[in-house]
Amino acid sequence: MSIFHSMNTTASALTAQRLRMDVVSSNMANADTTRAKLVNGEWEPYRRKSVVMQAKEDQFSSYLQTALNTSSQGAGNGVKVSKIVEDETPFQLVYDPTHPDANEEGYVQKPNVDPLKEMVDLMSATRSYEANVTVLNASKNMLMKALEIGK
Amino acid sequence: MNPISFTPAASTNMLKASQSAVTPAQAQKSFSSFLKDSIEKVNQAQVESDKLTEKLALGQNVDLHQVMIASQKASITMQMTLEIRNKAVEAYQEMMRMQV
Repeated sequence: MSIFHSMNTTASALTAQRLRMDVVSSNMANADTTRAKLVNGEWEPYRRKSVVMQAKEDQFSSYLQTALNTSSQGAGNGVKVSKIVEDETPFQLVYDPTHPDANEEGYVQKPNVDPLKEMVDLMSATRSYEANVTVLNASKNMLMKALEIGK
Repeated sequence: MNPISFTPAASTNMLKASQSAVTPAQAQKSFSSFLKDSIEKVNQAQVESDKLTEKLALGQNVDLHQVMIASQKASITMQMTLEIRNKAVEAYQEMMRMQV
């Protein structure tokens, strides 16, 4: 552990939240995309993506720490996005016969993206990012206060 | 995180052992190499920060917060070095003020 351990942890969280924000913007941008993937010669609409976050514990040092003292766990190494998964809920069917991708009955398959949900996710990512920046500032303040010891 | 902590008894034992084994010349040499290493690390933090800033300016794939954190780390290590230098100079001046 170095004095920057908490900063590194926070940095991993910031990176994860940035990626989450990227995924949300991709979902928002493709909220009306009807041609995202070509499956067997048929265009399929965009599928909503979401991130899966995981505690970053797969480092050797964390295992060593756990093995060295069974009584207490290490402070952890932060978070990482282990994968980006697609939402498997069915697509929305909208009646729009003029749409180029409409089927014989005039229905169009629209992405399973709900802009409301995306907005909530966006705000959550932003707030999380802010919270982590606050943690980082607190950590820095702590270090600067430590340098003032004995002044 | 390393919760390895020395008990007071163990640390004094270690201090005694090191005092008896190390000559002043060796101690000075190890101190100077320690100082050199530490300053090297501070420099490394600065270089790292410079590199990331350049990458950001060139539009390469680097997160803004990583750049900011690197610069903050460099700033903190630099501040720490300054504090240590101030302490060392203070000690030296205290010595020089001594009446002989």
